Amino acid sequence: MQESIRLDEVSLWRRTQEEFSYDLKRTLLSLLEGKYRHPAKKIVLDNISLTIERGEKIGIIGANGSGKSTMLKLISGILQPTSGIVRVKGKIAPLIELGAGFDSELAVLDNIILYGVMLGYSQAEMKSRVKSILEFAELENYALVPVKGLSSGMTARLGFAIATDVKPDILILDEVLSVGDVSFKNKCSQRMEEFWQDHVTVLLVSHSMELIRKNCHKTIWMEQGQIRMIGTAKNVVNEYLKCVAPHELAQAQSTTTQVESVQY
Amino acid sequence: MVTLIPKNLQNRELSWYRELFIVLMRRNLKRRYRGSFLGIYWSLLNPLVMTALYTAIFGTTFAQYYNNSALNYVLAAFTGLIVINFFSASTAQALASVVENGGIVNKIRLPLFIFPLSTIGANVFQLLMGAFPLLALITLIISKSPINVVALLLPIIGLVLVCTGIGMLMSALYVFFRDLSYFYELLTFLLWISSPIFYPVDIVPQAVSRFLILNPILPIIESIRQISLSGDLPDLTLIAHSLSSGLIVLVIGAFAFANWRSQFMDLL
Repeated sequence: MQESIRLDEVSLWRRTQEEFSYDLKRTLLSLLEGKYRHPAKKIVLDNISLTIERGEKIGIIGANGSGKSTMLKLISGILQPTSGIVRVKGKIAPLIELGAGFDSELAVLDNIILYGVMLGYSQAEMKSRVKSILEFAELENYALVPVKGLSSGMTARLGFAIATDVKPDILILDEVLSVGDVSFKNKCSQRMEEFWQDHVTVLLVSHSMELIRKNCHKTIWMEQGQIRMIGTAKNVVNEYLKCVAPHELAQAQSTTTQVESVQY
Repeated sequence: MVTLIPKNLQNRELSWYRELFIVLMRRNLKRRYRGSFLGIYWSLLNPLVMTALYTAIFGTTFAQYYNNSALNYVLAAFTGLIVINFFSASTAQALASVVENGGIVNKIRLPLFIFPLSTIGANVFQLLMGAFPLLALITLIISKSPINVVALLLPIIGLVLVCTGIGMLMSALYVFFRDLSYFYELLTFLLWISSPIFYPVDIVPQAVSRFLILNPILPIIESIRQISLSGDLPDLTLIAHSLSSGLIVLVIGAFAFANWRSQFMDLL
């Protein structure tokens, strides 16, 4: 097995935003009055070590603010660790908030190029892919319409189509995809299933234990910036439920045996 | 902390930066002109109207400093206005560029410096398409020498460097201080008044003019005027002056940006 993602003793400190003034006038005045304080920092990820093999499907669970999304941001290279090393091999497709990089004033066509280049492809590559992207997103007749003229479902479809047009090495899914109408959802599911069968490494953050248990080999349970537990999806989810919602566990266990197929 | 990147990956990063620069620059221009290429010439409206206004008000009084020629005053005001307009428009846009894209950079890994750079790039394109041909024409008519037209590009490079440096510095500071744009407006105004655009430099008292050296675009305006309006061959000292002014500001801006960059993401 080949290593795909590796985190060595990674810690991240971030500035707490609430006490930050964002204000030159106030900062200068407080400096003059001698009241200036250095901004407080708090630890968001605490000494995380982790190895993910190529092709593994990893579920990430934990309460809000436990550091799940922050860890994904480190892996995507959006954030740099304060200490420790993050190593990532291969192309990442971050399906976090589809279409976050669109410029609503520009035409769909321009946005395909813009978004694609932001994701790391070249303009020439993107130009040759425009057709298949528009086809998949079912937006052939909208190529010259500005994105602000699209419905939110259409925008999400476009985002999904661009980000998944080329098979990535690593797919990051923050929260479940619920893109567009039923027929498009099926199309998404199909494409995701292809990735799932292939050697694409998948990181899936979700609050749906069902989804995690059904689709992931391994699951990471994050708590207050640390890895509380890591292991097979079944074990970790059970332990997690035992800890957070003991009464829901019995319920959940009765349903897992019935559903076996992959659904999104 | 940072893993070593092999050479070919480094090259890939570089060509990715270039592609990003081009698409972001194009986005900037497309948003501004909505596909109408003529829109670029709107950018000439401001300096032309201002030149007319200054000439109407100050032209007769100041003509004596310009060989008693109102035309010379018009040309001096126009060249100065092109420079100062480019400076204030491009740096003000660059100032907001990082913060404006705060949402995107939290979703996709992007090099932050690309935002001020592509904003300046869009303004350079506009300058080269809009005001530069006019300036080149004036230069050619007055100096009758193509050397001067080509040399005109050198102080303009100096100008672009100054604006890139200030743009990077301001875009970095704006991440920390969101009320910076008010202070920056004041600063641009100071720079505007302290540049001899609508008045001859000779009327400034000696005691004050010593401080004008601190103005980084002063040598640029002087050099452009010398090349396009004096009729002489380009003055290399003035050119060297504007280029070094540009380099100094660029180094300061780039250094500040690189130093503070690691703190940006916590505040975007």
